[in-house]
Order: sequence, then C-alpha cells, then structure tokens
Amino acid sequence: MMGFHRIIALAALAAVATVLGGCVTATVQEVRESRTGMDASDAVVVLGRRSRPKSAETELDFVTCISRNLSKGAAGIKVIEEQQFMDSLFPWFEPRTAPVKTADLPELIALPPLARRLEEMNLRYLVWVEGSTERTDSAGSLTCSVTATGAGCFGFLTWENDSSYEAFVWDVRNGRVAGKLSSDAVGTSYVPAIVVPVPFIARVRSSACSSLANQLKSFLANEA
Amino acid sequence: MTVPTNFPVPVLDKLPLNMGIYLSDDLLNYVHAERLENAGSWQISLGDAQPAMFNNLLSGMFQGVETILDPSAPSAGVNGVLVPSIQEVQFSIPSQTRSDYYEVWIRYQFQLYDGEGQLLADWPLTAYGKADEDNYGLSTDQPALQAAALAACRDAMAFFTVQFRDVPSVKAWLDRQLGGTS
Repeated sequence: MMGFHRIIALAALAAVATVLGGCVTATVQEVRESRTGMDASDAVVVLGRRSRPKSAETELDFVTCISRNLSKGAAGIKVIEEQQFMDSLFPWFEPRTAPVKTADLPELIALPPLARRLEEMNLRYLVWVEGSTERTDSAGSLTCSVTATGAGCFGFLTWENDSSYEAFVWDVRNGRVAGKLSSDAVGTSYVPAIVVPVPFIARVRSSACSSLANQLKSFLANEA
Repeated sequence: MTVPTNFPVPVLDKLPLNMGIYLSDDLLNYVHAERLENAGSWQISLGDAQPAMFNNLLSGMFQGVETILDPSAPSAGVNGVLVPSIQEVQFSIPSQTRSDYYEVWIRYQFQLYDGEGQLLADWPLTAYGKADEDNYGLSTDQPALQAAALAACRDAMAFFTVQFRDVPSVKAWLDRQLGGTS
C-alpha cells in the first residue's frame, strides 16, 4: 500500500515539474521601414531561408510554429503554409532560386504566370525567417541504476538554450522591405534526480516563437 | 529508401513546342547503394521518382509532352527529345560531417535531340539537397535522407528550368524552332 502511495506521489511530482518548466527570458525588437496593413482577404507566407549555411538553417517546426501562431485567435491572419507556397510557385522559391534581396522581387513577380498565381493567393507579405536554437552551456551528471530491490536515479543536470531569430518582412505589392523583427530567448533547464528525475524544461524555442509571432501580428496590422 | 514522387509542376510561360522525353531503363531502375565505414549499408532508389519528376518538369515548360521509345527515331510532330541520365550520386550522413544534416548530390547529364533524331546538345547538371535530421525525428526508414534526396531532385528541376534556355546549343535550337523569339 505504501508503495502505491509513493508511486502516486512521484507521478504527481513529475506532472507538476513538467507544468512548471525552467525559466525563459525573451526579448523582441522591431525596425519598421514602411507602413503596413492588411485587408481581410490578404495573406501572408512565412518561409525559412534554406540557402543559408547548414548551421544557420531555421528549424522547420519553428517556421510552422510562427505560421500557426499568426493564424490563431480573433486577430488571426490568413497564412499560406510554407510547403504549399513553395509548390504553388515552383521553382521560384527553392533554395537555389529564391530571391535573396527585395531588389530581386519586382522582376520575379512581374513574370506573368507567377503574377497570376500570387494574385490568386492574395499574397500581401512574405516573411523570411532566419536563425536557430542552440545549446550554449551544459553541466552536471545523472546516474541511474537498477537493483533487485528497485531502480532509481541520482544527480543533477542543467543546460542553457539560446534562441535567436530574425524575421524580414517584404511587401509583395510594392516590392519593398516593410521591416525587420528579431526575437531572442534564453532559458535554463534543470533535471534534479533523487530516485526519480524531475525535469524542469525551459521552452526556449516555443517562447521565441510566440513572442516573435505576436510581434509580427501587430507589425503587419500596423499597430503602434 | 525510395524517393517520393510528389513533385510540383513549374510555374512558367510554356514554350509552344511539343517535347519528347526518353527515360532509359538505367534511369528508371537507378539505385545508389553504398556501404559506409562504421555506419552500415545505405541505399537510395531514385529510379521510381524519375517519370513523375520529368513529366511534371516538362509539362510546366512545354505546351506538349510525349513519351518517346527511341530518341533517334521520334514520332512525327515532336520538336525535340530530352534524354536525362544520372551519372553519379553521392551522399553524406551527419556522423561523417559532424553536423545535423543529410546531404545528397546527383550529377545528371542531359541530351537534346531534334525532331529528326540528331543529337543537338549535351550538358551536365549537378543538383544538391540537404535535410536537418532534427526536423524528422527518429525513424527506421531514414526520413531525413529521403528528404535530402527529394530536395536534390527538386533542385535538379529548379536549376533545369532556369538553365535550359541558356545552354548555347539549346538556345540556338530554340531560336530556330521559335523563329528567334526565345
């Protein structure tokens, strides 16, 4: 009976720990170069830069996370999914052919079949996302063992993750840069273990995503 | 590992030509197999993806596309015949490059025959694709390598569309076919 109570207590402790999480500090900055604004029918696409050097390529799930957060809620924006956009405008947004600077955009969107496709999509803004999440520090050790009387772990692990992302907003209608936003988040995760490891995970990438998406949403709506 | 066959159709102004495509048995059955030191045996089956890849590519570039059984004797009404082949495939896995990426390189060779079956042009194209293993999780069917191979095929299609009209002998052929309007 005591054993059963102990299992319940440990399970509850683990559940609380996953809810608590580690601590994360996030900062967002914005540089506006021109006025923005969206009609209800206007759409946005968020693209990761695939032509970057390997170590700097943005994670697919971060791009998906930004898109999902932009379209969520009462003030949600119409967002075209990245793969659907790349397939619909193939081959003009592939790693080797995608425009690198806004100066390349007017010539590209002037191609008649591409212009028609963009008009069908009602694409207003193109958001290029660059950056990634890296583990910057780690320390500690944790050992687990199994004996005839039971199993358990002992030790302490800690690590720090740093998310650094930039979003460049291009206005597709006038072929100009609308602005740049950046999101930095740093968080430390801990796993203390006395018999049972209890993880306190800092959701750094998720925090960087939600803060960048919220800022992007108000930037595109031209809210001060 | 087999490369998926879901390729997009290029968004282009179509050339008003009827293009033939000849896919050899070597291409249709192309498999790259390699044994890596301390990393076991690997296999990339590219052949199954080639018909969808080239049919979609050419149907986006030309008004008409026709499968040809012999490039030296194309059927009447065909302006030219494209013959692709794979010369070489290379790949790398994360443990080799100390990165998170699977990478695939495919070296294609293209030949263009005219409507009478005469060889007009012969040019290479190297395609590259990469995929971050962190994006694909743990699976036994090598999804990141599959994604890298698919990316290399898409890169081949993308580069072919932008390069095709600039290959000198292709450009000369297009000028003749279109009356100098290419």
